[in-house]
Amino acid sequence: MTGSEHLVTRLPNDIGGLSADRIEQIDHELAPWEKRCHALADVLDFHKIINTEEKRCGVEALGAEMVANLTYYERWIVAFSNILFRKRILTPTELAKKNG
Amino acid sequence: MAASPHEHDHPHAKIGDADRPGYYDIMETAVRELLIEKKLIGADEIRRQIEVLDSRTPALGAKVVARAWVDPAFRARLLANGRRACEEEFGISFYDDTQLIVLENTDRVHNLIVCTLCSCYPRPVLGLPPDWYKARPYRARAVTEPRAVLAEFGTIIPDDVDVRVHDSTAMVRYLVLPRRPEATENFTEEELAALVTRDTMIGVVPVTVSKEAKK
Repeated sequence: MTGSEHLVTRLPNDIGGLSADRIEQIDHELAPWEKRCHALADVLDFHKIINTEEKRCGVEALGAEMVANLTYYERWIVAFSNILFRKRILTPTELAKKNG
Repeated sequence: MAASPHEHDHPHAKIGDADRPGYYDIMETAVRELLIEKKLIGADEIRRQIEVLDSRTPALGAKVVARAWVDPAFRARLLANGRRACEEEFGISFYDDTQLIVLENTDRVHNLIVCTLCSCYPRPVLGLPPDWYKARPYRARAVTEPRAVLAEFGTIIPDDVDVRVHDSTAMVRYLVLPRRPEATENFTEEELAALVTRDTMIGVVPVTVSKEAKK
């Protein structure tokens, strides 16, 4: 045992069965950009550009720190960008220019 | 915005930083516009999908549940193939590639749905999930201590009733068919549907009849 095994056996999304806090019954109205982000995810799936599993995996690949600190749709849009770069659909330069 | 001279010294308190699009908001716009420019997706498609998302609320799932309570043949079709029954009976389009398994609560079994890995949810019939469903405490604990989780929602399941937890996946989604409350024999299908809330179809609470609704 080196104490690091949990990093290998548990990826950031894989939290089923871990201990955690009490459930707070929180919810919020989606901001317009969050709803657009959700619609974008669906449309990317329809066109077989990014499917649900690729999206989940893309969020996983952000690593524990980003998974812990970004909000739900923040994780999604960063994951989409990374997946689109990896698939050579967009380049980081194009996105940086568009971001302004 | 039109380029007009804007030379006065009063502060624009309402148009401060808080109203400016944030980093991720800008990123979403940039990704979407680039994909549209490359003709990989259509601008209309995003708008149409937002309309689809807005059209999906727990009221849709509630109609399905109420029909299953009053129509045994539909109930059988729903339990056999949730997606097909919803499509055929209600014309509910499953805009994603998912299957729907409907889980019937009985006096022996209580079902609960979760997505431990992320946030998979029966969106075509319930809309988008609440934040707590996507948050760590529910996802982490529902699979190993469901009775404690249910108790936090105020739901106590007797020891002689099995609690079954169903972990959703990208391809398979679940919907709980809650038990019809007692003393609702005189309710119309519409009145029954009005009793069915989102959380009853996730399985965290039972369907109840308020005093006002009793008749």
